[in-house]
Amino acid sequence: MYSTLQKDRTNRTEEYNDSGSLPRGRNRNWSSFRGNFGKRNPRDHGGYEPWPSHHQEHDGNMVMRDVQKDPQVRWTPYTIRHKNRRVKWHNEDHIQRAAWRNRKPLEREVGDNTKDGTPGSWFKITIPYGRKYDKTWLMNSIQSHCSVPFTPVDFHYVKDWARFFVQDAGPASALRDVSYKISGKENQKISIIVDPSAEPYSVQNKLEPEEMEQLKLAMSKRYDVSQQALDLQTLRFDPDLVDHDVDIILNRRSCMAATLQIIETNFPKLLSLNLCNNKLYQLDGLSDIIQKAPTIKILNLSKNELNSAWEVGKMKGLKLEELWLEGNPLCDTFRDQSTYISAIKEYFPKLLRLDGRELPTPIVVDVDIPYLIKPCKESYKGSEMLKNLVLQFLQQYYFIYDSGDRRGLLGAYHDEACFSLSIPFNPEDPAPSSLCEYVKDNRNIKKLKDPYLRVQLLKHTKHDIVLSLCVLPRTQHDFSSFLVDMWYQTERVLCFSVNGVFKEVVGKSQSSVRAFTRTFIIVPVSNSSLCIVNDQLFLRDTTPNETQSPFFMPVPTPTSRSMPTVSQEQQEMVQSFSTQSGMNLEWSQKCLQDNEWNYTRAGQAFTTLKTGGKIPEEAFKQIP
Amino acid sequence: DASCLTWEGQQFQGKAAIVEKLSSLPFQKIQHSITAQDHQPTPDSCIISMVVGQLKADEDPIMGFHQMFLLKNINDAWVCTNDMFRLALHNFG
Repeated sequence: MYSTLQKDRTNRTEEYNDSGSLPRGRNRNWSSFRGNFGKRNPRDHGGYEPWPSHHQEHDGNMVMRDVQKDPQVRWTPYTIRHKNRRVKWHNEDHIQRAAWRNRKPLEREVGDNTKDGTPGSWFKITIPYGRKYDKTWLMNSIQSHCSVPFTPVDFHYVKDWARFFVQDAGPASALRDVSYKISGKENQKISIIVDPSAEPYSVQNKLEPEEMEQLKLAMSKRYDVSQQALDLQTLRFDPDLVDHDVDIILNRRSCMAATLQIIETNFPKLLSLNLCNNKLYQLDGLSDIIQKAPTIKILNLSKNELNSAWEVGKMKGLKLEELWLEGNPLCDTFRDQSTYISAIKEYFPKLLRLDGRELPTPIVVDVDIPYLIKPCKESYKGSEMLKNLVLQFLQQYYFIYDSGDRRGLLGAYHDEACFSLSIPFNPEDPAPSSLCEYVKDNRNIKKLKDPYLRVQLLKHTKHDIVLSLCVLPRTQHDFSSFLVDMWYQTERVLCFSVNGVFKEVVGKSQSSVRAFTRTFIIVPVSNSSLCIVNDQLFLRDTTPNETQSPFFMPVPTPTSRSMPTVSQEQQEMVQSFSTQSGMNLEWSQKCLQDNEWNYTRAGQAFTTLKTGGKIPEEAFKQIP
Repeated sequence: DASCLTWEGQQFQGKAAIVEKLSSLPFQKIQHSITAQDHQPTPDSCIISMVVGQLKADEDPIMGFHQMFLLKNINDAWVCTNDMFRLALHNFG
């Protein structure tokens, strides 16, 4: 059926891969090329000229000559090469080669045919070390700096370099001008190298309309409308395709591009894509799907040949909830399950299931990350946003903490978080304190001199932390007693301390009340979830006035201070106390409460404290 | 100079403001007794240091306090970038 095309099923390599294999035109066979090599008459080859690169180009990939050659010119390859080596630069109007830093001679184009850039001629654009930049950022930067809009075709990576193709000399030379205009993060200039090239593979080997039709039919059969799922596993050996002699090797850019095109037109709202068992070893081609079918939430790439998480990371534009990667070489490169999961989660933060396993969900706080940017200058409470963020976080945290099963906190901690616990050491009271349950975890540096133990008791990874938290007695925290201090906030980190009380709910110290101070250092982890990196807990027995405060149910209150109800008479006391002392109502009430509503005693306490300067200024601030 | 002191809920930023606050504290002599301290490394190579203890100022009764320092290594010296101080005095409830 397609005999004119001389397809060679086994030998065609159409991938832009690292090994620099020779791209071949459709009508070419390697063996026939070899046979003609000595003749030096390119015209016999009927158009394309696959050419081994004799001198070192950046990566060993071939440069293809333009198709239309002046038939009168008989060009002798070796002569031309020789001229190149004298670094003679061909200055043409439209196409001027970009300068190489190390001034390697570029291959000159042959004749003048490419001077005007015959319409449809292609250029390859190379960005050295392009691998280190985020693809989206890089392409957007280039687009914005480029005076002529262009459509990148067949973007891919060749080792550390990025490459794509554009059509026509206009965009190509405009791109050449962008070189050294963009700066990367470390202020290094990004260079862009422009060379003429043959058509990119996806264009060169574009599927015939009949093939496209067959492919579309085969894909439609594999589409499940109810699930919006497309199953393309082992696509090459699909009976329909094989019967009609359509060879769809998804590693080939042209096949992948065709498949994606069909998805874009026919299944644009695709939810689930299964590419299991397709021998995929690079995902440059597949990454185009991010623009074409952004709705994909489930992706199965199992049983392929993906070597690294970085390869999978090329798909990070998709907001995946479920991902399958088992059966790929990359799975064996991780030393344990949790490093594997973290690596993948870096690219897909919203991921819920990996290889069929549910992942622990992080604590998600419903606040926009941009608002987290608040310098220290703000009032100690930070903005309302921050306050709410922190309170929400604390609510969720203590809800799980008090719930009896603290394993839910795994999602709250960073992998490398630290936690330690201390109880005060009182030299005058050597008798075992009532905090005996905590003594074994006590990391009070003052008391604990053994350096080995000091290291041991600093719980390091999130698993260790949650394990040790689970062992601590069950608690019930009194939210209303919480006093939150936010004392350091930047874009990247938030530190705050919580002072309060809690009750022990089970065990021998049942219903004894402890006071605690807990300090958290929290970082935002993409998309509004927070992660604890440091957690330090101090526990002590409460002072008498602290235990007095009525114990509310741990239902979160909007403010960390709330005034308990007072009787009419007490209210009047507060009022007069306030007038006499000069303190605001809140503080006056507190003072009275602490002194059991004994007005005189409260007054004395107040005077003592005031002369000692112990009363903070805010006590005197009138709350509107 | 970008350091910050949070003293009983009030924030002071910058060396000058901090020193001013510390010198304006209304006592002549003060004694501290540390009952517990703990330190942890932070991911950005700082050290967070937490101290709980008691203090006695002039002739006042002994009171508990809690203080936290965030130490950062700048030019081979450890500098305090943040300081938070709270008395274990009142419990709002």
